[in-house]
Amino acid sequence: MEAPEGGGGPAARGPGQPAPEARVHFRVARFIMEAGVKLGMRSIPIATACTIYHKFFCETNLDAYDPYLIAMSSIYLAGKVEEQHLRTRDIINVSNRYFNPSGEPLELDSRFWELRDSIVQCELLMLRVLRFQVSFQHPHKYLLHYLVSLKNWLNRHSWQRTPVAVTAWALLRDSYHGGLCLRFQAQHIAVAVLYLALQVYGVEVPAEVEAEKPWWQVFSDDLTKPIIDNIVSDLIQIYTMDTEIP
Amino acid sequence: MDRDLLRQSLNCHGSSLLSLLRSEQQDNPHFRSLLGSAAEPTRGPPPQQPLQGRKEKRVDNIEIQKFISKKADLLFALSWKSDAPATSETNEDSEDHYAVMPPLEQFMEIPSMDRRELFFRDIERGDIVIGRISSVREFGFFMVLICLGSGIMRDIAHLEITALCPLRDVPSHSNHGDPLSYYQTGDIIRAGIKDIDRYHEKLAVSLYSSSLPPHLSGIKLGVISSEELPLYYRRSVELNSNSLESYENIMQSSLGFVNPGVVEFLLEKLGIDESNPPSLMRGLQSKNFSEDDFASALRKKQSASWALKCVKIGVDYFKVGRHVDAMNEYNKALEIDKQNVEALVARGALYATKGSLNKAIEDFELALENCPTHRNARKYLCQTLVERGGQLEEEDKFLNAESYYKKALALDETFKDAEDALQKLHKYMQKSLELREKQAEKEEKQKTKKIETSAEKLRKLLKEEKRLKKKRRKSTSSSSSVSSADESVSSSSSSSSSGHKRHKKHKRNRSESSRSSRRHSSRASSSQIDQNRKDECYPVPANTSASFLNHKQEVEKLLGKQDRLQYEKTQIKEKDRCPLSSSSLEIPDDFGGRSEDPGDFYNSYRTQAGSSKTEKPYKSERHFSSRRNSSDSFCRNSEDKIYGYRRFEKDIEGRKEHYRRWEPGSVRHSTSPASSDYSWKSVEKYKKYTHSGSRDFSRHEQRYRLNTNQGEYEREDNYGEDIKTEVPEEDALSSKEHSESSVKKNLPQNLLNIFNQIAEFEKEKGNKSKN
Repeated sequence: MEAPEGGGGPAARGPGQPAPEARVHFRVARFIMEAGVKLGMRSIPIATACTIYHKFFCETNLDAYDPYLIAMSSIYLAGKVEEQHLRTRDIINVSNRYFNPSGEPLELDSRFWELRDSIVQCELLMLRVLRFQVSFQHPHKYLLHYLVSLKNWLNRHSWQRTPVAVTAWALLRDSYHGGLCLRFQAQHIAVAVLYLALQVYGVEVPAEVEAEKPWWQVFSDDLTKPIIDNIVSDLIQIYTMDTEIP
Repeated sequence: MDRDLLRQSLNCHGSSLLSLLRSEQQDNPHFRSLLGSAAEPTRGPPPQQPLQGRKEKRVDNIEIQKFISKKADLLFALSWKSDAPATSETNEDSEDHYAVMPPLEQFMEIPSMDRRELFFRDIERGDIVIGRISSVREFGFFMVLICLGSGIMRDIAHLEITALCPLRDVPSHSNHGDPLSYYQTGDIIRAGIKDIDRYHEKLAVSLYSSSLPPHLSGIKLGVISSEELPLYYRRSVELNSNSLESYENIMQSSLGFVNPGVVEFLLEKLGIDESNPPSLMRGLQSKNFSEDDFASALRKKQSASWALKCVKIGVDYFKVGRHVDAMNEYNKALEIDKQNVEALVARGALYATKGSLNKAIEDFELALENCPTHRNARKYLCQTLVERGGQLEEEDKFLNAESYYKKALALDETFKDAEDALQKLHKYMQKSLELREKQAEKEEKQKTKKIETSAEKLRKLLKEEKRLKKKRRKSTSSSSSVSSADESVSSSSSSSSSGHKRHKKHKRNRSESSRSSRRHSSRASSSQIDQNRKDECYPVPANTSASFLNHKQEVEKLLGKQDRLQYEKTQIKEKDRCPLSSSSLEIPDDFGGRSEDPGDFYNSYRTQAGSSKTEKPYKSERHFSSRRNSSDSFCRNSEDKIYGYRRFEKDIEGRKEHYRRWEPGSVRHSTSPASSDYSWKSVEKYKKYTHSGSRDFSRHEQRYRLNTNQGEYEREDNYGEDIKTEVPEEDALSSKEHSESSVKKNLPQNLLNIFNQIAEFEKEKGNKSKN
């Protein structure tokens, strides 16, 4: 597994363009997401893996470690943390296939054992770098409760024909390509994602204007509109990277 | 593409979105038509109020609009909607699954007027409402709604919405009186919405569960206690009393929030499918993922390849003779990949070489299951099966061996060895079968000789009995006596009856009853028979009329009830002789398989012709009578056995079905389980009939003898007792039966002769006894 080289320094970038590290992280996060789906991981363990990865590279430098190895180890570690245990053999197989799409399955040779050893060693390293704080509060739980509350208030036909829940869930999952999880509170991210989903379909929360408190304020007291706008715009930014990367 | 959704979105965002959409999605065929028509509604001026709000959001909105336009093909796709349908609302939301929250509008502090308006907009028929009775009138009762029990969970307690439950929708709780008297003001009621007048804001509810949709029909309507109020309402009340609580606090303090399974539960509730997770990223669309890339598929392939390596090493060991090492390698391979075909085949071959053929066969079969086209597996399996068959043959387990050969042939029709072996086995088996049969015949002959002597004694005894019971007989039936040769002699039930006397009696009764039954209703005969039976302390079956003779089922019933007596009951009447004979022919055929069966089968008779003639008069009589009664006569049994045996030889293939059908009946016939066993055996293993058959014969005969001695029509199911009745009794019985049996018309010539003899014999006896 070879890491792609980091691009030029900040000067080489155009305005508004994501930093090259961000691209790398995006690509690696994409790798984590894809591997997670192929390994049958649930949304929360995948989110934990991405968070661990992002957090690790906040503390360290891309040059020091191979990001893909870190990614594999984060998957392994996240499986343990979120009680969806994965076998290193499966992780190695899926990753190998990711990089060598038409390759044969790995043989049980010394190279295999070396790979396995590296994953395990890396896991310990990551734990130490993160000071063993690898359990996070994710927005998923909050988002689901908000969805239930909102569902009761909306007209049921309107709810049925508008895939608000699916869209919100998709947006939340995709948000892990970037480091949103590290910069914002879980509740805020959940509300913002829901907000965006409602916006996309033009759904209006009934009696919003007449209410004393807007619905998003209800869900999180310390949330403000600017925060929501920030999160939404960051999220959309992440999506722009998607089209640029092959 | 979902037009309505698109329209909704466009309405919200305005024309800028439309133009963006056009530019972004111009290549998408789905959108071209939609954008053309969907643009129509947005042309009109947007309503005033939203416009202002929108202007403020314009700046951010552009970004969002761009986003929408870029992802429109995903967002508005018809397949985007939840793939998994949300679980139907079972509103048994216990606290433990997730955090049940008070209604959102309560937090938002939406004014009552709006809440009311929205309530009447959103309420649907079939929703469950909970309220308190405010007044009871003669036409129904009014209730003030407190909360909702299904569908949307709203805060309506303070809205003072009333609903009427008309009288007709109130189920009555007692047989008389006013159903409304059960209800009082202040009762908390759970009801289903039946009718809504949205304009006038009127509701009609019902207490019948028919007003509810199917998935809710299990919920009880009517009076409920305050403990049954929904959780969300209780939380709502708490919130009212402490309006400073925040949503977040309530949620965090709820037990359901920390439930580890809350995410899965709610995902299911909302209809989001994790196995096919949604994403708006182009690269993560799950339809682009190939199944081969998934972890489980990769693991399988890898295991197979690893296992194959071990197998190769193992085969190398095997070739140089290191069997133990080879076995180790194979086992290793199978540990890695349990169903690996190559490993199984190789291990099977190793087992076969070492001699553990059964294990080898297991391995080969497993391998073939996984890969039916594996040539080697098939070949080796055939070889091993044949080898195993050979082993079994040497151990004299012929049927087993045969099955193995057949299996091998079934697998591979061209396998010469298997065919040869099978044929050889068949020949051998046939020979041994014939040998056995001959032996059995001999034994039978010997037995029958004995029987003859005891038969004479039995006859005498029976004669005496007949005289004694003449009166009874006469009164009971009008049918002629034995002389009529109606054999309906069910007394052939003699088979069942032990005592010779009884046998005769029964025969008489039977014939009488059979006749009467024919003439009168079957009941009459049955009553007669019943009487007779009772005399014998024999439980009387319900259908004792001889009409059963026409129906196999009845016979079976009769037979089932009483082993022997049934035979007696089944008297063959003259009238029914022909039909009977035809039917009974059937029966006999079926029974033929069973030694016990009244062996009065035509076949048996036919075979009889060839068999020992000396015994014939006796036996034929017995057979005849017993046959008639479709019951196993004791005497007959032995004969039957012989005949049946023969019959087996000849008609086994063809008759097997009959036998099977009659088995239940025959079981009953054979009053004793032993006899039934016997018949069973004979049916199933005619091949082995020879030895067992002969043995059974003797057993049966013994049993019968005992019965006759005892002179009771006991329903002895266990003939296991030591019986040493005399054969003559059986003979006597059988002779009676014979005389009674009538089957004359359809019998072949030799049989007819036999029957005539029997009839004469019986006539003598019958005349004597009657007179």
